[in-house]
Amino acid sequence: MVEPWQLYVAAASAAIIIGIYGVASKRNMLKTIISIEIITSSIGLNFLALGSRGGIADPLAQSIVVVSMAIGACVAAVALSIMINVFRHYGSLDLRKLRRLRW
Amino acid sequence: MEIPLLVQPLVILFSTAVLTPLIDIVGKQAKAEKIRDIFAIAGFLAAFYSLMSLHWAISSTGPQTYILGTFGVPAGGVQLTADLLSVYMGLIFCGIGLLVAIYSVRYMEVDSGLDKYYALLLTLVAGMIGVAFSGDFFNLYVFWEIMCISSYTLVSFRKYRWEPVEAGFKYLVMSTVGSLLALYAISLLYGFTGTVNLKQLSAMISSGQISASPLSLYFTIGLIITGFGVTASMVPLHTWLPDAHPAAPSSISAMLSGVVIKTGVYAMCRSLFTIFSPALFDYGTVLMIFGILTMTVANLMALMQRDIKRLLAYSSIVNIGYILTGVGIGAYALSHYSSSPRLAAPIAIFALMGAMFHVLNHAVGKGLLFLCSGCFVHEAKTRDIPELEGIGRRMTWTGTSFSIGLLALAGVPPLSGFWSKLFIILAGFSLPEDSFMKFISILVVLNSIFAASYYLWLMQRIMLKEPKPKIASAVEAPASMLLPIVILAALTVVIGIWPGAIISLAEGAGRVLLGG
Repeated sequence: MVEPWQLYVAAASAAIIIGIYGVASKRNMLKTIISIEIITSSIGLNFLALGSRGGIADPLAQSIVVVSMAIGACVAAVALSIMINVFRHYGSLDLRKLRRLRW
Repeated sequence: MEIPLLVQPLVILFSTAVLTPLIDIVGKQAKAEKIRDIFAIAGFLAAFYSLMSLHWAISSTGPQTYILGTFGVPAGGVQLTADLLSVYMGLIFCGIGLLVAIYSVRYMEVDSGLDKYYALLLTLVAGMIGVAFSGDFFNLYVFWEIMCISSYTLVSFRKYRWEPVEAGFKYLVMSTVGSLLALYAISLLYGFTGTVNLKQLSAMISSGQISASPLSLYFTIGLIITGFGVTASMVPLHTWLPDAHPAAPSSISAMLSGVVIKTGVYAMCRSLFTIFSPALFDYGTVLMIFGILTMTVANLMALMQRDIKRLLAYSSIVNIGYILTGVGIGAYALSHYSSSPRLAAPIAIFALMGAMFHVLNHAVGKGLLFLCSGCFVHEAKTRDIPELEGIGRRMTWTGTSFSIGLLALAGVPPLSGFWSKLFIILAGFSLPEDSFMKFISILVVLNSIFAASYYLWLMQRIMLKEPKPKIASAVEAPASMLLPIVILAALTVVIGIWPGAIISLAEGAGRVLLGG
């Protein structure tokens, strides 16, 4: 018998893999940032699913998720501001235009 | 209200960071702009003083714990813990931060937005000290991200040039994915145990009360090593570092290479050694292999560089390799000789002491080298080594300190880098019948000889060659930039000649990792 929280954990790991694939393969800076946000949210989902076993919602998991959402927003803000500066230099969001970005 | 001693450094640094922009407004009105620099330096001094008194308190009465907020058993709430290891790391972080702040007064004066620069420098150091003081895993992640966000912003501080912006974006993407992998590991650990407190996690996992299979625990260990390994710039996760460190202002490069990457090593060691007892889990082998890979690849890459700051950045990766190998030797001895703890424990303590000692030596030495190269670049306006040839003869104090730093990192006795490398290598050779450990130690020796060769080559070019006409007008850096450089150079010499006091500090720090 599969319990509901197990489905959520499976969905979270699938979403993390999707996010990492997005970071690794997408050539648009905005899509890279969106992929990072997907990973952040799916880890939040993982916390919530693991914290809701046995029908009780654990306040620890919920407080962790609230804080990590706030941190994710800060990272996104910094990433977007750097992206705007890249656009000012190159007039493009294509990562292939950046000379140093080889990873 | 009395603020507990443990929270004081964090409170001082964060409140100084918030107040610096306000002080800047007041200073601009009063036509005394330097007041914000002096205010930030005063904040660092106060934090350093409170860390010193915390160190005295801990060495006389034992570790301190402070709980910020509780939400019932067994979660435990947000917990700050300080033991000898955390305070040792905290002193290194805050000390380098203080010297970098003094250096920045003159070095950064051509830039604008300096109130933000100092505020970010203060939050960077506060985040690192918070990582060192965290008693629970989620708290560690929050302080970790404070540190990371400050350093992304500082790397791309000169946003009017293309290089910092690109390097900052690359650093941000790689480091954020790494931190998120570590957060995923935290969520898995929370799923196995229902808590994020490091002490409770350690008790539950080593007593085997949990239902997780060994495979899933090893998966978690892998996530922790990968996640924190990105910031620690472990090969093959190092590719952001040679771009980000040269692109940042030199003062920030000293900060990043000197201490921020050490925070990655610290977080990795603290979480691995505390949660997963090295006698039960064999991650020492992996750490040793990655340590050797890190130093070998980075040594080969460093040879090909023409850019002085890029060469120093690769040499930082080499030194992270030494530290990782030292930590790995300790964990390997404990896990493979767990049946004879009398044999394994002294080797582990010796290896960890060497690794912790090298953290300090590399922080001082690499901080010194980046600050000196900042002076050179400031005068010559180029980072190309062939164009910088002979500049050390025009700038005597900086050049001499630069040579001392290079010799210390090359491991020339009696300078500081010699001792820590010696301890790591001796720990590796202490079990002659173990051929794997012997093989690893021989590779460490070969790598340090290889590294010494290009340090000496760089020293010969900077100090001994005839100066090119382009840099003939180079003059010595101003006194406030020379002060931190001379202090750091004196530190490497003093630690090298009288290593006893620092060795006992590093040994206390190493013992904490092994559980007291």
